Amino acid sequence: MKKNIATISPGFEDIMPEEYQDLVNDGPYGRGLGIKNLGTFKELIEEHPLCAGCGLALAIRLTAASLPAPEDTIIVGTTGCNSILMPQLAIHNIHSLFGNQSSLAAGLKRALKLRYPDKNKDVVVMAGDGGIADIGLSPTLHTWLRRENLTTIMLDNESYSNTGGQESGMSCEGAVLNMAPTGKKFPKIPMPEIAKDSGCAYVATVSVANARRLGRMVKRAILVAREIGPTYLQIFVPCPTNYKFSTSETLKRAKEREKIMEYISSEAEKLIKEANI
Amino acid sequence: MAISSYRVIPGPESYLSPAAASMGVVLPEKGEALIEGKIVPEEEAIEKITEKLILAKNPFFFPGPLILWAWNEKAIAKAKAVKELAEAAGAKIIPMPDYRPKYPMINPEEEINPNHPNLTIWHNKIDTCVFVGVHCHYANLALKIIRGGTDCYTIALCGQAGHEDAMITLRDIHSEEVQKLTEVVKRAKGGTPQ
Amino acid sequence: MMERKVVDPEYMFKRAPREKKFLIGNEAVAEAVKRANVDIAIAYPITPQSEATHIVGDIYAEGYIKDYYRGEDEFNVMSAIAGARMGGARTFTATSGPGTLRAFEMFPLWAGARLPVVCAFMCRGVNSPLTIQPDNIEIGWLMDTGMLIFHAENPQEFFDMTLQAYIVAEQPDVHIPIGVCVDGFFVTHTREIVEVTPEDEMLPPYDPSTSPVPIMDMEVPPIRQMRDPFVMKSNYISYNTHASWQQEVRAAGERAKKHIARYVGKFIEVTNPDAEILLIASGTAAAQARVAMEQAREKGMDVGLAKIRVIRPFPEDEVRELAENPRIIIVPEHNIVGWLAREIKSRIDNSGKVRGHPRVFGGMTMPPEFIMEEIVNGRAR
Repeated sequence: MKKNIATISPGFEDIMPEEYQDLVNDGPYGRGLGIKNLGTFKELIEEHPLCAGCGLALAIRLTAASLPAPEDTIIVGTTGCNSILMPQLAIHNIHSLFGNQSSLAAGLKRALKLRYPDKNKDVVVMAGDGGIADIGLSPTLHTWLRRENLTTIMLDNESYSNTGGQESGMSCEGAVLNMAPTGKKFPKIPMPEIAKDSGCAYVATVSVANARRLGRMVKRAILVAREIGPTYLQIFVPCPTNYKFSTSETLKRAKEREKIMEYISSEAEKLIKEANI
Repeated sequence: MAISSYRVIPGPESYLSPAAASMGVVLPEKGEALIEGKIVPEEEAIEKITEKLILAKNPFFFPGPLILWAWNEKAIAKAKAVKELAEAAGAKIIPMPDYRPKYPMINPEEEINPNHPNLTIWHNKIDTCVFVGVHCHYANLALKIIRGGTDCYTIALCGQAGHEDAMITLRDIHSEEVQKLTEVVKRAKGGTPQ
Repeated sequence: MMERKVVDPEYMFKRAPREKKFLIGNEAVAEAVKRANVDIAIAYPITPQSEATHIVGDIYAEGYIKDYYRGEDEFNVMSAIAGARMGGARTFTATSGPGTLRAFEMFPLWAGARLPVVCAFMCRGVNSPLTIQPDNIEIGWLMDTGMLIFHAENPQEFFDMTLQAYIVAEQPDVHIPIGVCVDGFFVTHTREIVEVTPEDEMLPPYDPSTSPVPIMDMEVPPIRQMRDPFVMKSNYISYNTHASWQQEVRAAGERAKKHIARYVGKFIEVTNPDAEILLIASGTAAAQARVAMEQAREKGMDVGLAKIRVIRPFPEDEVRELAENPRIIIVPEHNIVGWLAREIKSRIDNSGKVRGHPRVFGGMTMPPEFIMEEIVNGRAR
């Protein structure tokens, strides 16, 4: 399937900069590609200003490459490192405010259901740990409790990285960060458990070091959200800038602390089996 | 409203130019157009556009996303018509493919961006430009920034209600209207048949 | 659900037959929503607006609105409204006082993202101390958000302005939010004759293709954009873009003037413009001022009234002209800060003639006698 908004009007092909021609001729829209195809197609992500060794940037790249239908996906982000990268994605995306990404996404999803009753429009919330688990916890939970058809992907770097490395609810107990000068006083917020208890039909955790599994989880999370109800995927994305480790160590650290978990409701199980993903 | 004395003319106007609408410039009604902030009949603006394009040393068209991308039949038809108009006017074309703040920088030789259109104008020494197929909000930003920082003469062919921040604007311009403009430009270029 | 037909907005506002109903303000605004061809309404309880969105819920249940739910709080309701608007749907919501403050971060976003949201504000006081009573201090805060503000005096204006707001807000050259404000209880809970348009006639649907910014549905180019102001870089260019963006939002408000004149009518309604003492008021303060004016004139005093209906864009030229003749301008208000007096003083040359009194707040009523005191004091000066 060719995506019209990614097709150049006749006569203007040769004046368009190369990156756009590549996206048109070799982009992933409507081709059902995934992680295993990386390196063989023009990716949706363009050059961006995030730090070297950024686990979050890599997770967005892998997620973008794993979307089951990039041609009909809209991403809602929030304030944080993700919001600096998002405009470079060749997917309609919205920077909401800080913490209201889920409620905004709910309104968007409902509007698109009304306007395109015969099409799947996948609305994916992709935001940081501070954005989802702290300032945006209420709408995150409420969209789950209301059973909105949204996928929520947390890019968990265990801190407020864009504002200079402050402790977040997802930081580990004892971590010394800005605003936790004597170490964090309570454990990591158990978001996967909360997601499960709040009605998510699919909940998974993975790290950015596990590309193929991450890709499969993205596809599952979006498919289940489309057909059944809310889903949650938590990706551990270490931050060398604020945790002050070498940029070459991001994947090693991700692997060391990776927790793989997958909860699939029985209804979702059936769907995933049928779809063979 | 008080009649505005503000004129929308080539700059560089100011460190931060005002939006023309806030200076009292009002958009034209159907059948009308704006020349330098003044409401005129559409025909007068068409003549003026033709004159500006013909006399320009280095005219450029900046087609925007609404016609660069083949998202519907109307867009494709308008794109074709705009290309013919640019050719008839002897103008070059630089696209505005999207609205993102591009990282690390644009290549001003091959594209223009609404967030810093002045870079492309300066680099290519453009003295007259035509905006077409740009979403109104982004067109207004770009037109105002151009007026603030460059001496380029700006023309906007708008599919909706027009742009006060352009020096000349037509409104309700679709492919047929662009074709008509092309005919006028061609006739003017060829001189009046004896 | 009855069969309905789309009608021309100008016909609906000016020529459609009207039926007299005996309605409170909350019922009147819901009657407007019913005729506004709304796609999605989102509600959250707060006095005194709740009843309006209850009735809107009933209208949804009858099939006149396609989607409706109770959100988690006002900030997230206004966020969901933004999402629905970015997705190309027409929306309705309402809030009051503390809800307005809870939601506040969203109002400049609505304007900055060029979303033609229509929101009803049934104004009430804010804490502390707790009050649920009428007080319109929130309008003073909303005035600088980039939103357009209409201030309706009574249920009739609330009905009309709500419908008109959709058509003004959705003009492609405007496309910014409009707050339709009324003074809580005095309007929301007061029963009056309201002339409504036929129930089987509704506004044309919103046309997303006219939006001055791309709708976020992956059907409109360009794919890459910045829907919200520019956070990418730190340099003159990005600041200049952000500044230009803000100017463009204000410019959209200026452009709204001709559409307001066409669809809503007069920005200011004036009685006795050449009077020695001019009362300038909006909302229910204007209703009380009218009574005071009539009493004063019966006693032979030379008093006039200017009722301001549109607070944003502010009718500066008209106010400047009105302010030339009177010796004294009296601005009665239902709030402690006197945002209307402040606004008028800042726009005219001789601001010394403006008396920002009387003011009542916290739920107090504004007896015409209280305004009369000011008139008498003014004359004695």
